[in-house]
Amino acid sequence: MLSTSSFLLVLFVCQTSKPRIFLCTNSIMNVLARSARAAVKPMRMARFYASEAPAGAASDKLRLTFAVPHQAIYKNTEVHQVNLAATSGDMGVLANHVPTIEQLKAGVVEVLENASTTKKYFVSGGFATINPDSTLNINAVEAFELDQFSPEAVRAGLAEAQKASATGSEEEKAAAKIEVEVYEALTAALTK
Amino acid sequence: MASPWKSAGISYLKYAQICARAVRNSLKDDVRTAAQRRDANGLKVAKWENGKAGEQKFIVPPKAE
Repeated sequence: MLSTSSFLLVLFVCQTSKPRIFLCTNSIMNVLARSARAAVKPMRMARFYASEAPAGAASDKLRLTFAVPHQAIYKNTEVHQVNLAATSGDMGVLANHVPTIEQLKAGVVEVLENASTTKKYFVSGGFATINPDSTLNINAVEAFELDQFSPEAVRAGLAEAQKASATGSEEEKAAAKIEVEVYEALTAALTK
Repeated sequence: MASPWKSAGISYLKYAQICARAVRNSLKDDVRTAAQRRDANGLKVAKWENGKAGEQKFIVPPKAE
């Protein structure tokens, strides 16, 4: 543990003062890379606020690209904040957020375009890439605004999926359970 | 912490497909028809010989909705 943390310290020194990286020999770089990989796991648990992200050349506005295979809903548009339902937990993304890649659950992506306009989309799942330059890329398979869903269809789908999750092979049951999760998330999103 | 669907042998692509289908199913009628048309995929092949297309054959026929 002690050695890992001392490597970490060295890594941060190298990151903050860029020229020093070039003084490092190959073998030192290898050690650093290895300790960085080792450090990734415990660090992943830590959550930061956007304001705690290291200030760099990043702009002060979040730029959102939100795409589904057949349509670009936002294309490099400046927005205030985006709230995501990631598999690791719900999160809000502002400008200068710590760069990360998050897997999205079937759930709501809330886009706060400015102080007065907020749009809510239900995505079937996908990935969000938060880049160091304050750009956010969201890729989803399907995404629709909440008013495009029919509560009756959700209810019928949920009942059918629940019935299906009790019978059939293990794989069929697992598939039906995925559906149940999606319909439950939709129900929650629509009743909110 | 593997997902239950992963241990049941379902790949991520399959998972994404199942989620997307459930979402399309939940749409209002007018948007749903257009969305479900996107889900129907087929794979058709034709062998070209001497600059002419041979017989076209479905490897994966599109699902009838």
